[in-house]
Amino acid sequence: MKHFVHHAMLIVVGAVWIAVIAASMHDLSPYFPKPTAATLASGAWTQQLESTLREHMGFRDSLFRLKSRTDLFVGEKMVQGVYVTSDKLLEKQSEPAADAKVLAEPVNTFYGANALPTYLVLIPSAAEIYESDLPANAVSADQESLIRGVYDSAVSGIRCVDARGVLSSRKDSYIYYRTDTHCTGYAGYYLYQAAIQKMGFTPIPYNRFVITHLTTEFRGDLYRRTLCDTVRPDVLDRYGNEAGVHITGVQAVYQDGTTEDRGTQLSAPAALTSEDPYRYYLGTPCMKLTVTTDADNGKRLLLYKDDFADCIVPFLVQHYSEVCIVDLTQTGEAFAEAADPQDYTQVLFLSSIRRWQELWE
Amino acid sequence: MPLSSLTFTVLTLPVLLLLYYCIPEKGKQWYLLAGSLVIYGWGSPVRVLYPAAFLFFDFGVGLLLERHARKRTLCTVLLALSAVTQTAAMALIRYAAFLNGRTFFPFGIAVYSLQGLAYLIGVYRKRHPAAVRIQDLALYLFLFPVLYAGPLMNYVEFSEQLGKRRTNIIGLSEGLGIFIRGLAEKVILADTFGFLFRELRQTPTGSMSMLTAWLTTIAFSLYLYFELMGYAEMARGIGKCFGFELPRNFSHPFFCPGITAFMQSWNITVLLWFQTNFRHFLLGGAQKKWQSYAGQVLTWVLIGAWYGMRLQFLLWGLCIGLLLVFEQTVLERYIRRHYIFGVLYALITVQFSWVLFYTGSLGEAGQYWRAMLGFGAGLADRSGIYFLTSYAAILLLGLYTATDLFRNITERLATTRVGQGMQILTPVIHAGLLIFCLGSMLYTDREPMLWLLL
Repeated sequence: MKHFVHHAMLIVVGAVWIAVIAASMHDLSPYFPKPTAATLASGAWTQQLESTLREHMGFRDSLFRLKSRTDLFVGEKMVQGVYVTSDKLLEKQSEPAADAKVLAEPVNTFYGANALPTYLVLIPSAAEIYESDLPANAVSADQESLIRGVYDSAVSGIRCVDARGVLSSRKDSYIYYRTDTHCTGYAGYYLYQAAIQKMGFTPIPYNRFVITHLTTEFRGDLYRRTLCDTVRPDVLDRYGNEAGVHITGVQAVYQDGTTEDRGTQLSAPAALTSEDPYRYYLGTPCMKLTVTTDADNGKRLLLYKDDFADCIVPFLVQHYSEVCIVDLTQTGEAFAEAADPQDYTQVLFLSSIRRWQELWE
Repeated sequence: MPLSSLTFTVLTLPVLLLLYYCIPEKGKQWYLLAGSLVIYGWGSPVRVLYPAAFLFFDFGVGLLLERHARKRTLCTVLLALSAVTQTAAMALIRYAAFLNGRTFFPFGIAVYSLQGLAYLIGVYRKRHPAAVRIQDLALYLFLFPVLYAGPLMNYVEFSEQLGKRRTNIIGLSEGLGIFIRGLAEKVILADTFGFLFRELRQTPTGSMSMLTAWLTTIAFSLYLYFELMGYAEMARGIGKCFGFELPRNFSHPFFCPGITAFMQSWNITVLLWFQTNFRHFLLGGAQKKWQSYAGQVLTWVLIGAWYGMRLQFLLWGLCIGLLLVFEQTVLERYIRRHYIFGVLYALITVQFSWVLFYTGSLGEAGQYWRAMLGFGAGLADRSGIYFLTSYAAILLLGLYTATDLFRNITERLATTRVGQGMQILTPVIHAGLLIFCLGSMLYTDREPMLWLLL
């Protein structure tokens, strides 16, 4: 009996190992990191190998689901920092490590150095707007007071837009994706409306846009983090305005200095079938994206943004002959060097408060 | 390469075992040594230089101690110099790593420094001869599974096993079972408690309720226990697969009556090392009671320093040493008569002591203690209630498996017919556990290995 158990143990455990290794060999091969002398010596290769295994190991999704579902079954309400509720996934927000004054410093410094009409929009996370939907007693950082603190610390010339108020007043509508951290196109329109009014333009009425459902099976970054399929997939919309201005050129500059001419296409339809369909709005992330339009008003906007702004950009470009979009997540502190601010008539900082915290803390 | 990484569990261990069982007996020791060095240097090959220097130093000093064994004064001076050199090197490196954010931290230093010293003291005391072959000493010092969190062994036990050890299917099967259970303790329990602890630690100390303070400390103590225990058990399991019988490092310390019993079940081989090589050898045994108590307190201060190069660790050692003396002089009889009191006394006091481990300053520790005593921001707050309700099941499971109630039940069950019949399920249970562990290892918000923090 004892011998039988030991033999069986080796066979069963060995079978698990062989199955996982065999499946991993198949699934990993396209992603396997190539070792070089430098990456081996620095330890980068070993880290790449571990993260590649974590992303592409055989049976990865099944194993992950087994763990996350068990955790939820035994009472946990959060998977990898994401609260799982019956109808949406909400990312837990961390308390800020720095105070509001520190977070207002970059925009204050920029304004002091350039003295251009400058606007600031900080967008709260879904957990802030849907606090009542969090699991009982669950805590998430108070972003309302943080945003207010940053706005209060901004110098008087900088005009701030109350994005939280805009979103709170429409919280019963579809303003955040259920499976993704970002705002929907619908919320994007109302954020655009609030911002563009402050910037001195009359917003284009909502009914002027033609809404197309690009996909009704959009599963976003929160889904990818939790693999929780009890929450319904999202709808990704395109807001088109054929009667409005037309894009005449899109130039991308990447972090390594390479450039790409994207023709007259701001959006990237190919992204809809990729791992991250949210990239549809602005395509592959790049350090700087310059969009020119046939608007002949001579207005030029310099937009410093994070990925929350992607769904708002298509609305903004309707008002400018040129919009230069600088991705703060790629430039970091050196954002002011990506483009000469003096070439532009207005400057807009548009970011989620979460990313803003991460960037300047 | 951490033993709980996917790279090790999915790729390295199966290949390592397969090749080990394929190569001829003569080459197995060299193979194990080479494997240990590759795993040690994984991610930073330069790291191997430090233990290499360490090895040649210990090997040379060991031969000198043996050659001049009759010249006791010379040997004593030589041993003292070696001990000071090694301890200073370990202390300096760990302190520099602590200051510089651990950019170059030869991991395992806390383990092989003690093993190296134990070897030299053993040669000096003529408990065993000096190693004749450098590869024997190298394997003793750097056998890879042991480097993470022990268990420590003395050279006599190791060298005896080195010559006699045999590998067979039963050893391999038992070893794999122990490894999988250790892996589960690390990636299922320790990582969950580590995550819970990290989340609770975000609560500002000024607004901390009694519930949150206690939960934080309990989560930390379970994290620490399952982290160290998990690594030690993984080491024991891997050792068994390669034919080594490594000692147990923990023996279900929770629910032990009294701090003495608790600490005797906690990191057993480390305590034994300090008692054998420091308290009894260096302090020479105590003549009077007060000397014995002083020796005990000093030993625990050093154990605290071994855990980490911060003032709080020394204070933790001091507290434990003083509490042990208090227990032995005042409470011992009472604890013997009142088991429940002993259990509660140990549990509560040890929880208070762990606060020194995880706080950044004495002031912060004071705030935690205040909150634990009910002088913080009330009895319970929202976050405390949330975490208690969310993690109640896993906390109960952790507390239960950390006590000997679990062991008693499994041992009793094994003697019954039902239990023996259920043995047939052992392979399936272990395979299921391995599958669940692999799922747990896919989480990205896992805790870093504790030895990086200590």
